[in-house]
Amino acid sequence: MISVEHLSKRYGDTLAVNDLSFEVRPGVVTGFLGPNGSGKSTTMRIIMGLDAPTSGLATIDGKRFRDLKTPLREVGALLDAAAVHPGRTARNHLLALATSNRIPARRVEEVLEFTGIAAVADKKVGGYSLGMSQRLGIAAALLGDPPVLLFDEPVNGLDPEGIRWIRAFFRTLAIEGRTVFVSSHLMSEMAQSADEIIVIGRGRFITQSTVDELTASADGTVLVRSADNAALRRLLEATGTTVDSANDGTMTVRGTNAESVGTAALAAGIAIFELTPQRASLEEVFMDLTADAVEYASANESTPHG
Amino acid sequence: MASTTHAEWIKFRTVRSTVMGYAVTILLTLGIGALITTAIRGHWRTMDPLRRLTFDPVSTSLGGTLFAQFAVGVIGVLFITSEYSSGSIRTTFAATPRRIQVVLAKLAVLISVTTVVAEVVVFAAFLLGQRIYEGVVPTASLASGAVLRSVILGGVYLTLLATLGFGLGLILRQQSAAISVFTSLLLIVPIIVFVLPQSWQDSVSRYEPSSLGHAMMSTSAPLNMFGPWTATLLLLGYVAVVLAAGASLLVRRDA
Repeated sequence: MISVEHLSKRYGDTLAVNDLSFEVRPGVVTGFLGPNGSGKSTTMRIIMGLDAPTSGLATIDGKRFRDLKTPLREVGALLDAAAVHPGRTARNHLLALATSNRIPARRVEEVLEFTGIAAVADKKVGGYSLGMSQRLGIAAALLGDPPVLLFDEPVNGLDPEGIRWIRAFFRTLAIEGRTVFVSSHLMSEMAQSADEIIVIGRGRFITQSTVDELTASADGTVLVRSADNAALRRLLEATGTTVDSANDGTMTVRGTNAESVGTAALAAGIAIFELTPQRASLEEVFMDLTADAVEYASANESTPHG
Repeated sequence: MASTTHAEWIKFRTVRSTVMGYAVTILLTLGIGALITTAIRGHWRTMDPLRRLTFDPVSTSLGGTLFAQFAVGVIGVLFITSEYSSGSIRTTFAATPRRIQVVLAKLAVLISVTTVVAEVVVFAAFLLGQRIYEGVVPTASLASGAVLRSVILGGVYLTLLATLGFGLGLILRQQSAAISVFTSLLLIVPIIVFVLPQSWQDSVSRYEPSSLGHAMMSTSAPLNMFGPWTATLLLLGYVAVVLAAGASLLVRRDA
């Protein structure tokens, strides 16, 4: 389990992570979602003991990362796939890592096989494609067979085949009872690979829920076309809903449902030609959620420092 | 600590820059040494009698170290800065969160390998030089304590400079910056000192790393210079200060 408590990280004037608290449970794939620059990577680096938090605490199974004796056996991480000396071979890179944590050398062969880069293991990493580097990064994360795994934007640079492979792989890790924490700036990606999602924006916690809850919680809209749009609009607006008219003779009604719109139209004797409830897509939910954070943050920043 | 050191040894020997660096070190120490001693042999009979009197067959045969010092410095610099330029420092710290342990492991590897290579090559350069001098120029023998000391300290000098490069890399984290500062310390500082008034020069120039090296490799203390052991301790002091600064920054900075 990963636990983050009141974590903040300040770089000069910018608060990259702002009083962030959440828990990542074992047994499920947890997505870490936020727009670019929202503090996901910083948070992951703090969890991995690479950056020191300005305040707050990040722990892995109750221990701070820097107190771990053989961390590769407890946490595996893919933070930056390209972060390998370009002149070293994949096998030697993994061998050095394994040695530092007293992991037997045969484990290097296992992870090379598993990630499908055994054939290029003796080639210099500098010549690797982004996809191959990602696989090497994953191989490194798996070296110590750790119960907790972190992946920062793992899908970047993978081909469709690789993406399918990695989704199934996350699923397997979670089924094995591990804690799997995966960041992405793409809601659509998270919707397909994560069970649970933590959303942040501008370094602040926005929400943590399952993918289903997230879509259900979003306000839907109703698309309506009627014999007298103007009259229906007045009627609906009087009840406090917002209505947008489109040029094609349809209106989008927010803050109500299809039943209420239909009932109101019947009572007023307006014929309905079309009435369609529309569920917000996850992408829209995400945009709505993070738009608030962006607004809040910019309002906050315009306040002079005092 | 043993496993961290073993891991650093694997990292050290599996990049070409290390092998190339030592190859250049060997080539420069022997090659330049051979050139210098051959030139001296050729001019010996026409040489100024006063210079013949103060002639040191040991330090002249080790003259190649003044070139090789840049090669070992770069080895030291690259051992740490390549981790920053590639970003692998994060992988390293994610595997070994105790950063001081990483520094000590890297130092252990750098110092032991450089010591072996440097000592072997300075002894080879000494013997090669004496062989070239033989019959024309007075030669020195390792049977003399002062000669043996000078040759050994020649190797120590190279090892200390590799460590100095490593320490600068630790502070600056950037290859080009660290190599520039390293070269400046050895080449530019003497030039600055050279434009100072003569009386200052005499008291300041002996503190330059290259002067300390010269003092370490001389059988008898040259004019206005420290004795060999004082010079060794001073250089060790410089290196210790740079390493301590680098290590304390490493612990406090974000990786």
